[in-house]
Amino acid sequence: MADLINLTIDGVALAVPKGMLIVDAAKTIEKDIPVFCYHPKLKPVGLCRMCLVEVGTPKIDPATKQIVKDEAGATVIAWQPKLTTACTTPVSEGMSVRTQSKPVIDAREDVLEFLLTSHPLDCPVCDKGGECPLQNLTLAHGPAVSRYDYADKQHNDKHAPLGDLMFIDRERCIQCARCIRFQDDIADDHVLQFHNRGRAEEVITFSTPGFDSYFGGNTSDICPVGALTTADFRFKGRPWELKTAASVCGHCAVGCNTALNTRLNTRTGVREIKRVMPRQNEQVNEIWLCDKGRYGHHFTHAANRLTHPLIRKDGALQEATWESALQLISDKLKTVPGQKVVGVIGDRLATEDAWLFGRLMTDVIGAAPAFVSPRTASAYADVARAAGLGADADFKALGKGDVIVVVNGDVEEQAPVWFLRLRQAVVDRGAKLIVAHHRSTKMHRYAAGIARFAPGAAAQWVAGQPAELAALKDARNAVIVFGDEKLSGHNARALAQSLAHALAEAGHADKPNSGLVPLYPHGNTQGVCDAVDPSRGAMPESADVAWLAGVGDPADAPRAGFTIVSELFLTPLAAAADVVLPAAAPAEREGSYTSGDLRAQRFWPAHPAHGESRPDWWAFQEVARRMGKDWSFGGPEAIFAALAAAHPAYNGLSYAGLAAVKPQWPMVGRAEVNFGGTVYDNTAGLGARTARVPVGGAAEAPVEPTLADLTRPEPALYRAGDLIRHSAVLAGRLV
Amino acid sequence: MLRTNRAADIEKVFAKYPTKRSAVMPLLYLAQAEYGYCSPEAIREVAELCELDPTEVKSVTGFYTMFNESPTGKVILDVCDDLPCALRGADAFMAHCESRLGIKAGETTADGKFTLRSAMCLAACNRAPLLQANGDYHYDLTPESFDKLIDELGK
Repeated sequence: MADLINLTIDGVALAVPKGMLIVDAAKTIEKDIPVFCYHPKLKPVGLCRMCLVEVGTPKIDPATKQIVKDEAGATVIAWQPKLTTACTTPVSEGMSVRTQSKPVIDAREDVLEFLLTSHPLDCPVCDKGGECPLQNLTLAHGPAVSRYDYADKQHNDKHAPLGDLMFIDRERCIQCARCIRFQDDIADDHVLQFHNRGRAEEVITFSTPGFDSYFGGNTSDICPVGALTTADFRFKGRPWELKTAASVCGHCAVGCNTALNTRLNTRTGVREIKRVMPRQNEQVNEIWLCDKGRYGHHFTHAANRLTHPLIRKDGALQEATWESALQLISDKLKTVPGQKVVGVIGDRLATEDAWLFGRLMTDVIGAAPAFVSPRTASAYADVARAAGLGADADFKALGKGDVIVVVNGDVEEQAPVWFLRLRQAVVDRGAKLIVAHHRSTKMHRYAAGIARFAPGAAAQWVAGQPAELAALKDARNAVIVFGDEKLSGHNARALAQSLAHALAEAGHADKPNSGLVPLYPHGNTQGVCDAVDPSRGAMPESADVAWLAGVGDPADAPRAGFTIVSELFLTPLAAAADVVLPAAAPAEREGSYTSGDLRAQRFWPAHPAHGESRPDWWAFQEVARRMGKDWSFGGPEAIFAALAAAHPAYNGLSYAGLAAVKPQWPMVGRAEVNFGGTVYDNTAGLGARTARVPVGGAAEAPVEPTLADLTRPEPALYRAGDLIRHSAVLAGRLV
Repeated sequence: MLRTNRAADIEKVFAKYPTKRSAVMPLLYLAQAEYGYCSPEAIREVAELCELDPTEVKSVTGFYTMFNESPTGKVILDVCDDLPCALRGADAFMAHCESRLGIKAGETTADGKFTLRSAMCLAACNRAPLLQANGDYHYDLTPESFDKLIDELGK
């Protein structure tokens, strides 16, 4: 490690990488230099002056150009006459820093006194109170009394909407510009800026339609005061009333690590999710969440959740007990031949549910392997499994010399946090981006090469060996992100195969940070397909019995004499069923998801299940037992163990192993709220990458797209689905 | 429309800069000349021309005091009342200006002729009290010379 720099902070000697800022160097020895404007994920600007420290460098004799030593042989330090901002000063060899001297302590007190001249001090009613850097640092470093004239306090707008989802309290704002810099540098959506200057300076938006970013909620996390509050959480609870459960977002293929904050509603006695917060996982979502993940949780507590099993009697669905519903199902299944039973499972269920469902269909009932809905994604999941990212893959390691190709996908709409991370790989670290699509996307802004093809002709484009893909040959690592927009399952599979082939041709097949990254519709599409090994053939027109577990698209359901539906809501498919089983929502149970970049991650229950709803795996096991199978899985842990023993992608992984953690950089989280914002640290588990599994079969040639393929809607972040339509806060943006 | 009314000027401005966003301030001056002030529409037009978000342009007009975000009188009087000028009687002079025009600093006369503003340092402390009238300096002012100036400018 040639690039280490030696320095001393408050007498403690340390060595840190070249280029590190003093404020971060101090963090490595767990020494806090207070900051407001500095954030480890943003470029430093040095405008709040809270991080002032004394800095000295070795004294150089002007005559000899040698470092001056005292009698004892120690290096003499030349202290700079003025205090320096630790957040903009990189470390240098032999540097000495004082963070606790009298001038530093006095400066902090002065800075805070100025920041508080017009701050309302309305902590008792402020949403940030209890997790507020300004509150914490004022207690730690601030003056005990204010010398300012009360009449001279400035009074500003306290409830200004910046957009539909964010409000600003202009009195609380301390003009640190973290929100503006996040929008400029991370989201590349320049809808926030300062207006005016001096005491009149304020954060404004003059865009149409205002502060309407897909990533806006993150600004509330990194706001060091209570100025930015979300429409979802504002006035909904105090931080110290909230309990936290680790979870994983299931709304897209990224698999962002989340923390579900719940609060007991004392009127109803029900513990409810009050907000979804990011949980640090530097290889997945860093500390960010998109607004869909943040605000899309309301379905869990929707009033029309199914509470009891339902059985059709005299033509109408009527409430029933689990016992009678399970008995009815198993009795029915015993009477029909196995091959006349069709199972379809949605990609929203946990991997453990899918594993048991798959075994139930093939091993217990004797049916063909289950189908996975959506059918398009399940058509190529095995190809993506074979050519996916390697074990140590990390978008953050992509940079100069690497090539990122986006084919037929709209990364910002389909996997927003990947958009942030891939954009930084290109814009900040110099990776080469090639975008191929039939229309323009936000990713096109950063592309070094752009290719266009006719809608639905992505696979044909790749098959034509386009010049744009020649860049793969010289790449250090190559990541190909692809989507299935306007493609049939067959064509999507052909696309995945041809892209995997292109990667292998260019010599990237076995590299750890190269591979295919599919833009799956949901968070566990890969996991469900792994566990079920789905049928890819045509869905039978009719069946004696159909079991539809979490199937959203009616087109993915066969006509059947007897239909069983496992669901959260009385969807059209459930309403037409003969038996409906109420499923527990992800926040009410545990399990694991496997993301689009092949990472298996666990989620934990945040509150008890709604009504009598139960986890899907439990219902599948109960039916199997009634049919004579001796299953006695105690829970997802045991099921995962069975999956890991049987499935090569999961060999060697354990459920407990998914909960392993290791130190992450930058240091953020609850103990570091003053530094990194209100993001949660990851104490529950970073997950583990599952392995590539080779896939057999010859490459298939793409066919002409059909009218049905071409008229399918474009992917959109807020495309109304069965779940996010229950979030009133997102109602205005559903498409 | 700036794009149609000032097409030649816009071309000249753009020719001077390597990127479009660098031209934002000269274009704002053009817009201010065209519309009398940096109206919301003017800001959106400039943003479109420079390929910026309107918020970014609004931030520029907010930062620089010589971009006006609301309509002004025909003549803008900027009276310096910073500390050195105040020591030379700027406060009393400003009070006279206000009573002569019948408005407070920051306001515009009802006939739309004058806007009176207090300005930060105009870099001529030795000749205070002074003001800028639409950018032209008038030094060593007295109540009498101010009244004369107003009569002249108000014609």
